[in-house]
Amino acid sequence: MTIGINLPVTGADAHDAELIKDGALLASDEANAKGGVAGYKIKYLILDDGTATAGQYDPAQAATNARKMVSDNSVIAAIGPQMSGSGKAMSPILSQGNLPIITPASTNPDITDPKFAGQYRPAGKAIYFRTVTTDAFQGPNMANYFAETLKVKSVYVLDDSGAYGVGIADAFQKQAEKRGIKMLGRDQLNPKEADYTTVLTKIKSMNPDALYYGGVAQAGVKVVKQSYDIMPKIIRAGGDGCYGAEILKGAGFPAAEGLYATIAAPNLLDNPDAKPFVDAFVKKYGQQPENYSITAYDAALVIIDAVKRVAEGGKEVNRANVRDAIQASKTKTLQGVVSFDDNGDITNREVSVFQIKKDDKHPLDSVLHQYKYLGAARQSSRCIRRISLLTAV
Amino acid sequence: MIIDPVLLQQIINGLSLGAMYALLALGFTLVYGILELINFAHFNVFMVSSFIGMWALELLGLSGQSTVLGGIALVGALGFAFIVTMLAAGVLGVAIERIALRPLRNVRGTAAMITTIGVSFILFNVILLTVGAGSMNFPNPMPVVRWDIGGATLQLREVLIWAIALLLMVGLHLFVERTRLGKAMRATAQDAEAARMMGIDVDRIVITAFFLGSALAGAAALIFGLYYNFTSFIIGYTAGLRAFTAAVLGGIGSITGAMVGGILIGLIESLGGHFFATRWADVIIFSLLVLVLVFMPSGLFGRAAATRA
Repeated sequence: MTIGINLPVTGADAHDAELIKDGALLASDEANAKGGVAGYKIKYLILDDGTATAGQYDPAQAATNARKMVSDNSVIAAIGPQMSGSGKAMSPILSQGNLPIITPASTNPDITDPKFAGQYRPAGKAIYFRTVTTDAFQGPNMANYFAETLKVKSVYVLDDSGAYGVGIADAFQKQAEKRGIKMLGRDQLNPKEADYTTVLTKIKSMNPDALYYGGVAQAGVKVVKQSYDIMPKIIRAGGDGCYGAEILKGAGFPAAEGLYATIAAPNLLDNPDAKPFVDAFVKKYGQQPENYSITAYDAALVIIDAVKRVAEGGKEVNRANVRDAIQASKTKTLQGVVSFDDNGDITNREVSVFQIKKDDKHPLDSVLHQYKYLGAARQSSRCIRRISLLTAV
Repeated sequence: MIIDPVLLQQIINGLSLGAMYALLALGFTLVYGILELINFAHFNVFMVSSFIGMWALELLGLSGQSTVLGGIALVGALGFAFIVTMLAAGVLGVAIERIALRPLRNVRGTAAMITTIGVSFILFNVILLTVGAGSMNFPNPMPVVRWDIGGATLQLREVLIWAIALLLMVGLHLFVERTRLGKAMRATAQDAEAARMMGIDVDRIVITAFFLGSALAGAAALIFGLYYNFTSFIIGYTAGLRAFTAAVLGGIGSITGAMVGGILIGLIESLGGHFFATRWADVIIFSLLVLVLVFMPSGLFGRAAATRA
């Protein structure tokens, strides 16, 4: 029995991808140490969707990896991807192979949106599950946080041209406008470019209260660094692409100081329930986990639990049965009981807000110590109403 | 006349970019002038040099932005970093020539050019596999000093970058125009066969061109690191492509052309981003390149100019 893993373990997000991978492996290792799952030892097929030419995740490579997983009959479920651009490329292929995948990090809502079902799950059934919520909440909730807590009146929005970056920036922008925050402009960055001073100089001349960046680390590091240089006092925020060791390492202090970032999951690292996990992780891998290490661990727990239920039910452990079992999950994980709606989205939709505050007593690239948890970002009331409508339907 | 301060700021940004592109473009032009070879390894000689520069500064105990030096210590640290980086880059360039290109010197066709692409990939992957893929925080020992000029901000590091670039370009110009070796380079560029018959050691000239070009890439790489405070295995691509465009725009083979082309591309990039949107910068740069090549196939200073080296 094999679990496929697809993460950009080379490229600009390698460090964070590694922490996600380790989270997943820890769960399977623990299960194997206890004699495996329903008599099966868990093996992995670890594939890398980062390429040298892209310098970060590469959707074309992700598609190739998805085909590899589908064509390997021992693969009954998969974990990944980290990046939504890869998710969009993988989902149609996995759908046709009826291979369920659980993403611990990719948050673009389109992939699981029933509106795009024909595109991302042509075979019909949901196969793209998440142990994080989506940017349909991450972006707007941060816009609410801007309006209510940070009292931001005007904002400029940047994205990194990737599927995730554009999506979260769009969602943020829409809600920010709804909340009466003045939108001074929107620009798209080429992540391979080194120089963003031109656009940042333009932004400075408009004098906005805040800058919101949707995107991942490759462009993010440069945005954080150069924006600090040009506008040291502006409020800067991003999504989960701005939450991670790559930002701390690449941008460094003082440039990273004060940056707000969200994650599409509850904050669990400081939670006493997660303490045994954190200790085991540090012992095994010699570094601190991130919250998405936990969501990856949870994703593996969901798969293991699904396999167990299939086997206990006397059914054959194959992709179709494991998929159905994942769909029906009520699995106890570190973030609580995980269950999915009919599209594969997690039913818990918490978004957490963090701010980078330098803590000299700990390594400066330790996510756990340098990102201070500020609280959960409030959901838009309209969103809540829409969800309750959906669940009612 | 009062210039819009934002526009002035963009010009300052553009000049800094341009100074870097110009130094990098000179490497393309020097090698092309002598061998009529487009050296794509130059992209990643630049990238590798930025790591050498970073390690040189770290060797002095500098890391991140935490240590700021002043006065003699700053001049010493920067001088040390520039000398180490330029020497190492130059040696790397010469090694590439000796190992990968010299055996192909007399092979007709595109073999040598394809080889430079191969070497480029090797350098790229060596850094990717040994150093890793994340962005590295580049040490910057320069104090933050800002001047207000007509509403725009001019920083000490920008002035330093311009000064260093100017110094190197003037130095190169004097070398090519005033020294025996420079004269031999110009002769080889005009007609390698005739130069050989006149007793010029062409191999030595080729090595000189690779050394100088790569050393300038080393200087550009250090400037890049000090300006942006980061480096990564991927920086060679965009910067190299822009600089190559600059060399072609100015007229590849022409030293003046490379300098002017570099500054122009830097200004176009920042002003294009200012008046349109940043995502259009590449479209503007490459459209302009196409136009120049259609109407002036040899570039702005190509062939006809006397400064060709």
